[in-house]
Amino acid sequence: MAAFSAETILQIGQVPITNSLLDTIIVDALLIWGIFSLRKLSMVPGVFQNIAEYAIDGFYNLTTNITPKHAGKIFPWFMSFFVFIFLSNWSGLIPGFGTIGFYRNGELVPYLRAATSDINTTAGLAILSVFVTQGMGIATVGLKEYVSRYVSWNPINLFVGILEFVGIFTSIISLSFRLFGNIFAGEVLLSTISSMFAFLLPLPFLMLEVIVGFVQALVFSMLTMVAMAIITTPHHESSESEGGEHK
Amino acid sequence: MEIIKNFGINPVLLIAQVINFLILLFLLKKFAYKPVFQMLEKRRKEIADGLKSAEEGKLSLEKALEEEKKILKKAQNQAQQILLDAKSQADQMLLDAKEDTKGQVEQMLKDAHSQLDKESVEMEKRLALNSAKLAVEMLEKSVKDIFSEKEQKEAVERVSKKLKINRN
Repeated sequence: MAAFSAETILQIGQVPITNSLLDTIIVDALLIWGIFSLRKLSMVPGVFQNIAEYAIDGFYNLTTNITPKHAGKIFPWFMSFFVFIFLSNWSGLIPGFGTIGFYRNGELVPYLRAATSDINTTAGLAILSVFVTQGMGIATVGLKEYVSRYVSWNPINLFVGILEFVGIFTSIISLSFRLFGNIFAGEVLLSTISSMFAFLLPLPFLMLEVIVGFVQALVFSMLTMVAMAIITTPHHESSESEGGEHK
Repeated sequence: MEIIKNFGINPVLLIAQVINFLILLFLLKKFAYKPVFQMLEKRRKEIADGLKSAEEGKLSLEKALEEEKKILKKAQNQAQQILLDAKSQADQMLLDAKEDTKGQVEQMLKDAHSQLDKESVEMEKRLALNSAKLAVEMLEKSVKDIFSEKEQKEAVERVSKKLKINRN
């Protein structure tokens, strides 16, 4: 049974090298390899370039559909969140992740574990997402307009503003725990099913996890993108579109 | 704070993940999104240009085809005209030749006629002369017994004179 927290494999000074951190490095390597193979773009795209172009163009169009004005600013966050979370979600499904390891105090410590099944990763991403969203709001609509979103002389608007303010912090929790919960639960589910009967039986669940990995990456990045779109739209322009941040 | 520990939140790891993601974001933005967007834009432009030039090519081809058709029609017309001209010319020539021959034949006929006339006149003349001679001879023979020699001579001479025959 997988542990809640990521297991430390090595301890280098203050920094514990956990199995999820190793997976983060693997995902990083994969992405950097992808970037590297994109360095020579050709007019006639190859398979990889085609996929990259398709994905980037598709995500950019999605961003422009939601916020045409600030798409250029929001898109890199949206796309990067998606790609990183997506790859780390699916990396956890590779055979050997969570199963190959060593025994410590009679318990299996796997060498690798999906980066997003570690709360540190998801919380880090969620905090980053929320803070960047707020910062982008201030930078785009101005401090006065930004503050007026939360503070108002009108009691109803003040109440709404307080809710919005609380919403900032709840969205950190919801973003991080949604992702962590889904991926971690998937790992637990798969290891439980595998321990019951290791052949064929886990297959449907594995397929489910494939879908979940994709959907959760999309959910996290889409929520970030929508939150950014909302906060970069001034009050008078956004017609009652606030608060649509949570699902 | 027990719950945080249970979940395994470690500020160092958390910050490490944030920094890791920021680096990734920077790399992706600079080396993946930007070049891909540039390439997409470039290709869009190229395709638009290609389509435009294809359209232009199509138009000029159409124009050329139309021109060709026009020229062909003109050539056909010209050919027809030439043919018609040639035909009429040939007809004219034929007609001329016919006329010419007709004239020639007529001339020949006329010549033949006149020749014939001339000959027949001559013949008549000769016939008249012969018949006159015959008459004179008949006279000579018939008057031989009736008249004397002198009278005979006179008579014959008179008749000959009348008949304009030069005796001997």
